[in-house]
Amino acid sequence: MKPSIEQIVNQLALKREGRPEEGYWQDFLCEFHHRQRKQAVTGSRYSAMISQFSSWFGSLGPSKWAYGTGVAYAALTVGFILTPRSVERENLPSSPVKYQVVPAPGLPLEQLDRLDLSPSTQGNIGEQIF
Amino acid sequence: MFRQSRPPDPDQDLITRAQQGDTRAFDALILKYGDKLFGLVYHMTSHKEDTHDLLQEIFARAYQSLSKFRGNSTFYTWIYQIAVNLTLNFLKKRKRRTTLSLNDLESSVQLDPALIDSAHEANPERQTALNELQIKLNEAMKKLSDPHRMVVTMFDIQGMSHVEIAKVLKASEGTIRSRLHYAHLQLQSALQDSWEERF
Repeated sequence: MKPSIEQIVNQLALKREGRPEEGYWQDFLCEFHHRQRKQAVTGSRYSAMISQFSSWFGSLGPSKWAYGTGVAYAALTVGFILTPRSVERENLPSSPVKYQVVPAPGLPLEQLDRLDLSPSTQGNIGEQIF
Repeated sequence: MFRQSRPPDPDQDLITRAQQGDTRAFDALILKYGDKLFGLVYHMTSHKEDTHDLLQEIFARAYQSLSKFRGNSTFYTWIYQIAVNLTLNFLKKRKRRTTLSLNDLESSVQLDPALIDSAHEANPERQTALNELQIKLNEAMKKLSDPHRMVVTMFDIQGMSHVEIAKVLKASEGTIRSRLHYAHLQLQSALQDSWEERF
């Protein structure tokens, strides 16, 4: 059987008078003051700022990652712009060149002799002979 | 254009004294709104220790921010907003931290004196059935999304008006009505198997 909305609302209304047990608020206040004193002694403004920032960041919802990425990107860009490049270039270690120049092996003379360099084989300008 | 004048905050005197460092005035505010906030947080978390810790955090946050309270809303609305934000954040973190089984949460019946129906106290059978129904109702409530459970808790359990809820949740009245309607349908559907005609 399906209950009516009214019946559900009536059942929910039964919870209205629910309260914590007797003496709860006295203990609560004692603990509250104890925590406040402790925070006043040990907690600094810094910790309050951090907790406020973290709760603010947490309350941003899904957009917090967009903000975080944006801030990180901006920080990287600023860091990149402000980094002096000349210093980096000067500090490069100078290492000697380790390569040896090896002369290319020349064509053997027999191969040169076999080539026919006579004017009859040279052809005319613009003419290709196969 | 005339600005609509708002009735003065009934807590103004206590707030001013608390802002001047009178801790007893802030204690009075805790005692005044403690039960209501306890109900709100407990019905959202279904966990007694979590409720206690959250309430400590809510009042601590309110105490720290009291100097910034300018009276743009009533203290009641303001502290409810703090409670709602911290509770929803807590629930998000709890979901991420661990997949809490519904069985790990309290069914709350034994903590809720109102659930002992005085009209049927003499009828133990009827009382047992009502208790069982309340357990089912609590389970159905836990299945609602956090924003829907929040609206049901504030409207049906705490008896707040649509306007008050809209102010606290910074949403339109239409949104509140729509959430409430959807939540009621969800509860109706979840309870249809366990509902008996005698209720």
